[in-house]
Amino acid sequence: MSDASADGVGDADGATAAEGRGFFERHTTRAVFAAVTVASVAALLVAGFLFPDSLAGTLAAVLTSENTLAAALRLSVPIAFAALGGIFAEKSGVINIGLEGLLIVSAFGAIYVADVTGGVWIGFAGGVLASTLLAALFAVVTIQFRADQIIAGLAVWLIALGLAPFASQVIYGSPNTPTVATSPSVSVPVLEEIPFFGALFSASPSVYLLFAAVALSWYVFERTAFGRWIRASGENPEALDTAGVSVARVRYAAVIISGVLAGMGGAALSLDLGQFTGNGPTMVNGKGFIAIVAYLFGNYNPIGAFLSTLLFAGLDAVQTVLQLQGIGVPRQLIRITPFVVVIVVLALVGRTRLPEAAGEHYDTEE
Amino acid sequence: MATAVHLDGITKRFPGVVANDDVDLEVEHGTVHALLGENGAGKTTLMNVLYGLYEPTSGTVRLDGEPRTFDSPRDAIDAGVGMIHQHFMLVDPMTVTENVTLGSEPRKWGGLAVDRAAAREAVVELADRYGFDVDPDARIEDVSVGEQQRVEILKALYRGADTLILDEPTAVLTPQEVEELFAVLAELTAQGKTIIFITHKLGEAMRAADEVSVLRDGKKVGTVDADGTTREELAELMVGREVLLDVEREPAQTGEVVAAASDVVVEDDRGVRAVDGISFEVRAGEVFGIAGVDGNGQTELVEALTGLGVPDEGEIRFRDEDVTTASRRERIEAGMAYIPEDRQERGLVMEFGLVENGLLGSQHGPELGPNGRIDWPATRDHAEAIIDEYDVRPADADADAESLSGGNQQKFIVGREFKRDPEFVVASHPTRGVDVGSIEFIHERLLELRRQGVAVLLVSSKLEEVQGLSDRMGVVYEGEFIDVVDPEETTEEELGLLMAGERPGGGGDETGATDETDPEATPSDVTGGERA
Amino acid sequence: MSAADRLRDALDRLVEASATERILISTAALVLSVLLGAVLVLVAGRMTTCTAGEAVYYLGVGFCYDPVVVFDRLFLGALGDPLSGGWSPDGQFSVTLRETTLLLFTGLSVALAFRAGIFNIGTQGQMVVGALATAIGVLWASSFVSGTVGTVVLIPFGVLVGATFGGLYGAVPGMLKAYADANEVITTIMLNFIATGVALYLVSGVFKDPNSAANQTVPLPEFARFPAVLFGGRQDFSLVALAFGLLAIGALYYVLEHTAFGYDVRTSGVQPEAAEYGGVDAERTVVASLALSGALGGVAGAMYVMMVLGTFQTGIPSYGFDGITVSILAGNNPLGVGVAALLFGVLKSGTTVVQFATDVPPQLVGVLRGLVILFVAMPEFFRMLAKGLPGRGSRREAVATDGGAVTGGGVADDEGGEADE
Repeated sequence: MSDASADGVGDADGATAAEGRGFFERHTTRAVFAAVTVASVAALLVAGFLFPDSLAGTLAAVLTSENTLAAALRLSVPIAFAALGGIFAEKSGVINIGLEGLLIVSAFGAIYVADVTGGVWIGFAGGVLASTLLAALFAVVTIQFRADQIIAGLAVWLIALGLAPFASQVIYGSPNTPTVATSPSVSVPVLEEIPFFGALFSASPSVYLLFAAVALSWYVFERTAFGRWIRASGENPEALDTAGVSVARVRYAAVIISGVLAGMGGAALSLDLGQFTGNGPTMVNGKGFIAIVAYLFGNYNPIGAFLSTLLFAGLDAVQTVLQLQGIGVPRQLIRITPFVVVIVVLALVGRTRLPEAAGEHYDTEE
Repeated sequence: MATAVHLDGITKRFPGVVANDDVDLEVEHGTVHALLGENGAGKTTLMNVLYGLYEPTSGTVRLDGEPRTFDSPRDAIDAGVGMIHQHFMLVDPMTVTENVTLGSEPRKWGGLAVDRAAAREAVVELADRYGFDVDPDARIEDVSVGEQQRVEILKALYRGADTLILDEPTAVLTPQEVEELFAVLAELTAQGKTIIFITHKLGEAMRAADEVSVLRDGKKVGTVDADGTTREELAELMVGREVLLDVEREPAQTGEVVAAASDVVVEDDRGVRAVDGISFEVRAGEVFGIAGVDGNGQTELVEALTGLGVPDEGEIRFRDEDVTTASRRERIEAGMAYIPEDRQERGLVMEFGLVENGLLGSQHGPELGPNGRIDWPATRDHAEAIIDEYDVRPADADADAESLSGGNQQKFIVGREFKRDPEFVVASHPTRGVDVGSIEFIHERLLELRRQGVAVLLVSSKLEEVQGLSDRMGVVYEGEFIDVVDPEETTEEELGLLMAGERPGGGGDETGATDETDPEATPSDVTGGERA
Repeated sequence: MSAADRLRDALDRLVEASATERILISTAALVLSVLLGAVLVLVAGRMTTCTAGEAVYYLGVGFCYDPVVVFDRLFLGALGDPLSGGWSPDGQFSVTLRETTLLLFTGLSVALAFRAGIFNIGTQGQMVVGALATAIGVLWASSFVSGTVGTVVLIPFGVLVGATFGGLYGAVPGMLKAYADANEVITTIMLNFIATGVALYLVSGVFKDPNSAANQTVPLPEFARFPAVLFGGRQDFSLVALAFGLLAIGALYYVLEHTAFGYDVRTSGVQPEAAEYGGVDAERTVVASLALSGALGGVAGAMYVMMVLGTFQTGIPSYGFDGITVSILAGNNPLGVGVAALLFGVLKSGTTVVQFATDVPPQLVGVLRGLVILFVAMPEFFRMLAKGLPGRGSRREAVATDGGAVTGGGVADDEGGEADE
């Protein structure tokens, strides 16, 4: 699976190179930002190795620790799945701001089903089903009934935010569910011994599932007719319509896929911990929104979205480690770094080019 | 030759409107048939019927003698009819190949993957067969408009179209691209395709078509052989009366310079110089016209003048002040009025009533918005005065702008702008898409302003309009003034050459045309006219 | 176009233009949400367990929860049971008005931004910032004054501080949108998280009340809080604050409808290109609307601190998000916000009554909130219901024809130039 993912990256680079000039004209700020990020991390690592006792040394040690990568991967799972889902929906022209809600219902649904049936994977499927149903509702509302996508997406979030703790309260008498069994992590012999990158090969099954989903999504967009239809549906639905493909059907399919993917993320999130916590913003706590930023920053590319998710999750993982090590920055402030980074990134990258027809309703001509 | 397309007694009514009235049309296989008529004559409606976008109120469509009913364009496509709209149905970030094959992609691996090699191959093959110059791997957003149009044609051919409908195909093309298009059309018909091409330019109809059908007011007024007709005959068929626009115009009483542009450069989003060093002056009491094919920088120039855009280089002066970077509001308040090119996008707030639309641009002014507070009674009186003086119908100040017809929307805008007591009016395509009565009305008002000593900049792609109203006119081509001429001393032919980028005095442009222009057409009394 | 099409178009245009339709749709959305909520209560009542005596029976099926009781408690309970006698202004009714007051401000905050075409999801964060600033500012100022004079000085001062800081915090996404083209939906969501995080940091650190275990600031003295007029102070409601709220409704209505700034805002909201043409400075309008919107959110925070809690404590309830619901339900109209805020005030206040009277989880109200938004977002659904016309639920866009013998018609606009001949 990881091989497939690596291939994916290679192909994407190839495609980028072929696009040549066009790519850089379109993505200069983004490229600069990515370059600056890589360069500063590299500088930090070098400084860390040269002066192991300095703050840079500690940071470098944290960054290169296998645990950090493992934690980043684990934190990435729900965000990256939701981001992939968001890409499908938004590329087709439906902005799905309700990803957060999809994560919440699937997180609860997975625990509930797992609790009832006793099977982790059945629970996983239950979570996916819950999210898919909610996404299907969202699709009907926005595509059939022409609802404003942003407002309907917000409604999806709010409904889920109420419904999951409500159900938990009804069933378990508390917004937090009891714990269920979790599935052990899966290790690939030999490969897991590799320093640092070994974390890639000793992870929970959902991490492998994510690798597969990233690769598959990339494949769908780049190689299949359906992927092209999704793009056309978001960029110029009229062109797709006159080419004889039903825009509504493509959009339904894309939104439902976004429900499936977000559902996998939510189910993985709660099953990883074995519990759903529904207080306040619930255990999902903004991950669906960070997913949106991740795919915007990843420029609607599944691999780009995954990498930017890894960046955000990495920040989160680093802050957790730093907290444990008692570095002198207050916990509450470290916790908001990912959000600050998102804003800084948005301010620097500025306008992300949304698909031309995103957010707009499309009526078939007679 | 057999009849490829036969429209029989087509009538199409919209609420309150008869768009097509009992139109018959026969098009032979392997020919180019031009559908000629003024804007609003019903050409596009008729073709939308053929393409399945509209169901005719009555009448039948026959292809190769077979009666057909199309519920949607898909049915028409399946029956071998393709249409190339004015607005291309292309997906900008996708490649030429991806666009051509969209919806009918060749597959491999049991449908799990697009056979990209086969798709590319098919596109290359089609392009070669008809002698098209297209790059199958280029993205649509990176290629010229002419190439985009060829992609649209390829798309139709890829889907097996035998009959191609082109809606105003030359409106967006440069003269060279028009030549290329005509060559393409000739090649297509030589290989048996049938072409119907909608235009309002009679020269093009005569040049490119075998037969010309003329529509007027929704009715077909005649079909003639392109070789056996004259421009005069076609013009008379189109207009149905003596050509108007012989506007009564006394000599200009020009005063001092009111507005001036010097060496203005405006780059578009891609960094291309849409306006490439244009200079001119407009004096009080004169109309300075800018003529040219659409898309040669007029829009960008007007936006820079009116404060909707900022020039990348050069200077704009208004009443002896440098206003190059002045805001739109500052320019309004200084006495600049502006009739925008796109009235529904810019000129009016479509879901506001006329009262609120009359306020647009004056909301911070001393009359209607003193001290930041809107004086609604005065605003209502203002709107009612515009409606009254400019004959806007229906005369209902509470009607939403979107409920008005195009001509009445335009009259309302014209009234609002002229009632500012401006010193300088920028009128951009002031009569586009407007009915004849309103056109005359707007022209008279423009000339009245000129009499009152207002400086007027008139931008239009209607040559007769610019020529009939202007005291001096600049001809713009690819962002530059090819020449600034006296409209009364210049013939249409000369202007046509200038608009095609042919510099006076034989300094030929890329077109490489050889015709020498009359040396007298060079500017004589030009003030600040810029020659490259 | 068939006769049915034309009829449908005509009807569409008719209803689209009318304000009554908005009210009808909002009402229908509410009723439908309540009905769905009732179903949800019944379903939930089947999923939980209770003794046979506690159960209620509909159509021979037993349910643990009774939706009739739930909605009776929710609505009548929130109004202080006016029908059963013994109504007192100090009861649940004043809780309802308290919630209404806060929702008025957050609702107006969201509505103003919406009218400018901006989706401000950040009212919550702006409220947090305003609340914290008010708590700290008023606490500092309360050492200089006291008594009735203190109240008269400190209350406007506190509101001003809340408005200022909320406004500044609102201006941040405004500037990001205007000058860096950053999508405000995302930035405001992020700023909500940041506001909560920074507030937690400050209140658990420098500004922490040393005498309290909770993360909160030192409580304000009694004279620095809104005085209870008519209503007893027991439910932390002040008529003065409500009057402030009604004043804000009037003021915002006036600003939008009768000032040049309001005209700029509304024009930018519906057609930004036309606004630009009309001399509206797009960037400044964006920043100003979001700052003003943030200021209203900040005032909500000030009210919360000076009327309800008397201190700033982490975990401010989600009035900001409820404000989105209120605004959407009100069609972003300031006057409508008044009605919608009262309605949601009832819902929020009724929640606690429901909690006392039944075992139904209070999160039900959260679900209702989402459902209301969902239904209000799909007017097309109600149009179809109302007309009962079958077929696709969509009105075809005005077709671009090239007219025929039209009296003008905004139709030929797309035609290209006519440079020939």
